[in-house]
Amino acid sequence: MNLNTLAWRNLWRHKRRTLITASSIAFGVLLAVTFTGAGDYFYTRMIDAGANMGMGHISIMAPDYNRAPSSKKRLQQANQHKLAVEQLDNVKSVASRVQGQAMFASARKSIGGVFFAIDPEQENSDNNLFIKAMVEGEMLSSASGSSIVLGIELAKRLKLKIGKKVVYTTTDNRGDIVSAIARISGLFETGSDEIDGSVAVLPLHKVQQVLGYQKDEVSVLAVILSDQRHSDQLRDKMQAMAEFSDTEVLNWQQTQPDLAGMIAVDKSANRIGQLLIALLVAAGILNTMLMSVLERRHEFGVMIAVGMSPKNLFLLVMFESFWLAVLGLIIGVIVTTPWFLYMSQTGLDLTSAYGDDFSFGGVLIDPIFKLRLFSESIIAILIGLFGLTLLSGAYPAWQAGRVVPVESLKTL
Amino acid sequence: MSHKLLVITLLASQLIFMTLGTAETDSSEQILRVKALLNEVDDLWRGNSSYAITSMQVKTEHYTRTMRMEGWSKGKEHTLFRIMEPLREKGTATLKSGNHIYTYLPKTDRTIKLTTGMMMGSWMGSHLTNDDLVKEARLEDDYEATISFEGERNGQDIIEFTLIPKLDAAVVWGKVTLTILAVSHTPVVEYYFDEDMLLTRTISFTDIKMLGGRERPSVLKVVPADKPDEYTQFIYEQLKFDLELKDRIFSLSNLKKR
Amino acid sequence: MRNRHRSIVTMLAMAFACAMMIVFSSLMEGFVAGSELNIVSMNTGDIQIHQPSYLDDPDIYQQIEQSLALVTAIRQAGFKASERMFAYGLMASDQSSSGVQLRGIDLQYETSVTDINQHIQRGTWLAKSDPHGVVIGKKLARLLDVSVGSELIFVGQTADGYMANDRFHVNGILKSVSSAIDNTGVIMSNLILQDLISLPDGAHEITIMRTDRSTDLALAVATIDDIVTDDLEILNWQQLMPVISQFLETAQIQTLIMLLFTYIAVASVVLNAMLMSVFERIHQFGIMKALGVRPWQLIRIIYTETFIQTLIASLLGLFIGTGITWYFEKNGLDLSSMSDGFSFSGLALDPIWYATLSIKSLFVPVVFLFVIAALAVLYPALKAAVIRPVDAIHYH
Repeated sequence: MNLNTLAWRNLWRHKRRTLITASSIAFGVLLAVTFTGAGDYFYTRMIDAGANMGMGHISIMAPDYNRAPSSKKRLQQANQHKLAVEQLDNVKSVASRVQGQAMFASARKSIGGVFFAIDPEQENSDNNLFIKAMVEGEMLSSASGSSIVLGIELAKRLKLKIGKKVVYTTTDNRGDIVSAIARISGLFETGSDEIDGSVAVLPLHKVQQVLGYQKDEVSVLAVILSDQRHSDQLRDKMQAMAEFSDTEVLNWQQTQPDLAGMIAVDKSANRIGQLLIALLVAAGILNTMLMSVLERRHEFGVMIAVGMSPKNLFLLVMFESFWLAVLGLIIGVIVTTPWFLYMSQTGLDLTSAYGDDFSFGGVLIDPIFKLRLFSESIIAILIGLFGLTLLSGAYPAWQAGRVVPVESLKTL
Repeated sequence: MSHKLLVITLLASQLIFMTLGTAETDSSEQILRVKALLNEVDDLWRGNSSYAITSMQVKTEHYTRTMRMEGWSKGKEHTLFRIMEPLREKGTATLKSGNHIYTYLPKTDRTIKLTTGMMMGSWMGSHLTNDDLVKEARLEDDYEATISFEGERNGQDIIEFTLIPKLDAAVVWGKVTLTILAVSHTPVVEYYFDEDMLLTRTISFTDIKMLGGRERPSVLKVVPADKPDEYTQFIYEQLKFDLELKDRIFSLSNLKKR
Repeated sequence: MRNRHRSIVTMLAMAFACAMMIVFSSLMEGFVAGSELNIVSMNTGDIQIHQPSYLDDPDIYQQIEQSLALVTAIRQAGFKASERMFAYGLMASDQSSSGVQLRGIDLQYETSVTDINQHIQRGTWLAKSDPHGVVIGKKLARLLDVSVGSELIFVGQTADGYMANDRFHVNGILKSVSSAIDNTGVIMSNLILQDLISLPDGAHEITIMRTDRSTDLALAVATIDDIVTDDLEILNWQQLMPVISQFLETAQIQTLIMLLFTYIAVASVVLNAMLMSVFERIHQFGIMKALGVRPWQLIRIIYTETFIQTLIASLLGLFIGTGITWYFEKNGLDLSSMSDGFSFSGLALDPIWYATLSIKSLFVPVVFLFVIAALAVLYPALKAAVIRPVDAIHYH
C-alpha cells in the first residue's frame, strides 16, 4: 500500500484526536489571520495617513532640509523632478508643497503655527488629510489667490470666522521677514487639537511669490504610492537615479521616525504574540503525533518485522503530519473566511472606546478595527503553519523510524 | 497701528500720514483734498532724519514700569533706538535696517536678528509686539482714506478720516479712524477696529507742546480695548529734525555701543 | 503511571502550556503596568497640582502660593513630589530661533518623581555646577540646528515687565518625551528660571508620584486634597492625559483578548493531551471494570491520575515559566533595536518591555490548567465509567 494512502487512513483511525489537532491548526490560522490582518490593515492606514499629512510616502527635498528645515533650503527644478517621478512605477500622485513656520495674526491675537502651501489641482482627499478633514467652507480653489484654510482650533483662538482675514508672517528665501494677507475660505478639523490649533493650508504659488521662490522651487515633493510597501525599494531606486542626484530622497520612515518606530515596536509585539501561539499550536501537534507514534510502537515493530524500512516509517509519520496540516488548513480557511470577510468589510467601530481623535505616532486615524491581508501575508500564514506542522511532526517521525522490532514487540 | 505708532513715538515720524499721502490715484475732488490734507499733516512730522528722547510707561495688571530711550532715524530705511534707563536694560538696542531687525542684548553681549518666532513677543513689556515693529515701513500703500466727519465734536473743530485697508494689504484691521484738529492738523485720537468693526485699540495724542520747533502732541497713549485698565504711554522729552546723521550710526557695530 | 512515555509526553505538553501562560501573562501585566509607569514617570507624574485656570491659560502669574510648604507637606505624607515653574520666550542659536517653553525644575527632587533625566539622547542631564547648561527637546534641537555645547540666547520678558535675556548652552538633548517637550521644551533649574524672569517664589505645577504604585490612585488624590487647603486644581494623570489613558484602557482590553487567545490555544493543547491519554486507555479501563472496579471508583482513579499529572506539569511549568519571566523581568524585551524611542498620541514610550511577575500571573495560569484538565477528562472519564467492558475493550 502506498505510504500516502496509509498515512491518510491512519489519521482517520483516531478521528477525534485528528479532528482536535486539526482544529488547533485551524485555530492557529484564525489567530494568525486576525493578528496579521489587523497589522496589515492598521499599519497601512497609519502609513497612508502619515503620508497624507504632508510628506508623502517618499519625499524629495533639498539636501539637509529634513535635518534642519529652513525656508532658505528649497528644492529647485521641482517641475522637472515631478515629471521624472511620475514616470516611475507605483507612483499614484506627486504633490508640490512649500511648508514652514509662520505666525498667524488677527486683530485680536497672534499665534505661531505651520503652513502647508499646496496646489489644489494636485491634491484631493485621497492624498491630503486636511482636504479630507474639511468641516466648514471650502478648500482653496487655486494655487494662487489669497485664500487660507485654517484648523478649526486655530481659527477659534484667533477669534476668526470664514471670510475674515489673517495676516501670516514668515521668513523668506533670504531669511527676511515677510507678511501677506489671506482670507479664510474654509476650516478643517482633524480631531487633534495640536494639528487643528496650529496648521494652515495656503495656496502654493502665492506663498512661492511671498517667499521669493521661483515657480519651480518647493520645499518638498510629496510622493504618494499606490502601495506603501514599495517605498523602500522606490526610494533606493530614486537615490540611484541621476535626475535626483542633487536632491535628498527619503521615505516615510525617515521623515516620520516616530511613526516608523511605533509601527516597528507594535509589529514586534504582535510577532511575539504570534510566536507564542505558534509555539502552542506546535506543542499540540507534537503532542498528538508523539502520542500516536508511542502507542503504535508495537504496530511499527510489526511493520518493520515484515520488511518496512525505518526510512519509510519516518515518511509514513511525516505523511500523517502532512495530511494533518492539509486538513487543519482547510478547516482553518473554512472557519476564517467568513470572519475575515466580515472584519475586512465591516470591521469593529471602536469610536466609542477611543473617541474621535485618536493619534498614533503623531498620525491621526479613524478608530475602526478592520482586517486586511496582503497576498504575501496569506502565503506566509499558510506556509508558516504548514511548515510548523511538518516540523512538529519531525521528531515523532524520527522516533518512529528508530523503533526496533524486538523492543517494540516487547511492549505488547 | 503700532507700526506707525512706534515710528511716531520713537522717531516722531509720520507714518500714518505717509500712508494716507499715497492713498489714492483717483482724481475726484474729495480725494484730492484728503490727500492734500494728509500730506500737510504728514509734512508737519516729516524730516529726512530725526532724533528723539522718549520715555515709555507701561501699566498692566501685574506691573507698572518706566523706561527711557533715545532714537535716531534716517529716511524710511534706518531706525535705531537704545534704552537709557533703567540700568538693568541700559544699552539694549534695536536696529531696523531695511527689512531686517536686530536687537542687541548687553547682558549677553549678543545681537539677535528678529525672526518669525519672536514676533508674538511683547516689545519691552509694552502693549506692542515685535510684529508691530517689523511691519511698520511696509504699510504705506495699505489704506484708502476718506473724510468721514468734519465739524465740531466735544467742543473741538475736527476732521475724522476713515482708513480702510486695501484688499491685498497685510493688515489685520478692519478699519482705522484718525481724528485731527481742523485748524492745526494735529492728531487727536486714532481707533483701530477689527473686521467685525469692534474697537480693539485706541491711541490718543495729548499734551501739545513745542517739540522740534513746532507744536505737537507730546504724549501718546495706547489702550487695548479688552483691558481698559492697562496702557502703554510714550512721552516725548526731546525731538529734533533734519540732523546730519552718518550711515554708520545704523550699522551693526554701532548697535553695541553704549 | 503504567504508560511512562505517554504520561511524560502529556505532562510535558501541559507544563509547556503552563509555562507559556505564565510568561505571556507576566509580559502582558508588565506591558500594562510598564506603559502606565512609563507614561507617568516620563514627565507627568501620577498627580499634578495647579492654579485652577493654569492649564487653560499658562500665565506666569498663576503661581501656587506657599508651594514650598505645600510640597513639603505632601512629601511628609509619604509621596514623592517636586515643584516646577514655566515661562515662555524665544531661544536663538546662531542659525535660527524658535519660541520655547522654559521648564524650571527642582534639581534635587525632580528626578525622584520622574525619570526624564534618563531620557537623554545626547549629552548629559542638568548639573548644579553648570547653572547655564540646559537640556532641550529633540525637535527643538533640530529646529535651532544645535548640538551639545552650542550656545543659546534666551529673550523673553520678566514678571515685572523688563526684558529677560541670558546666555545658555546645550547640556543635553532629550529623546522623544512628549510633543510639547520635543518641540519647545528647554529644561533648566527652577532657581535659574526664577532669577531669569524675576519670578517670585511659587511653583506653577507640583508633580506627585505615589511611593507604592499598587495603592489606589483615587485614594492618593483624596489624601492630597486633604493636605491642600487653597483653591487649587488636583488632577490625576488620567485626567491630564485623557486620550492616553483611554488608549491604555483599550490596550489593556486588547492584551486581555490576546491572553484569552493564548489560553484558548493552551486549552486546545491540554484538552487534546488529556482526551488522548484517557481515551486511548479506555480498553484498559474496560478491563478494570471487568475486574470489578466500580464506575465512581474509576472516575476517582482517572481524576487522581489527572490531578497528579497536572500537579507535576504545573510545578514544572511554574519552574520554567518563572525562570523565563524572571529573565524578562530583569532584562526586558528590548525593542529598541527597531527604534530609539517612539511616541504614541504625542507621548513617548520606552522601547523596553519588562515582564512583571506577580501572584496573579503565576496563580491564574495554574488554576486555569487544573480547570481545563478537569474539564478535559470529564467526558472520557464518564464514558469510561459507563461503558460496558466488552465495548471498552474493542473501543477505538
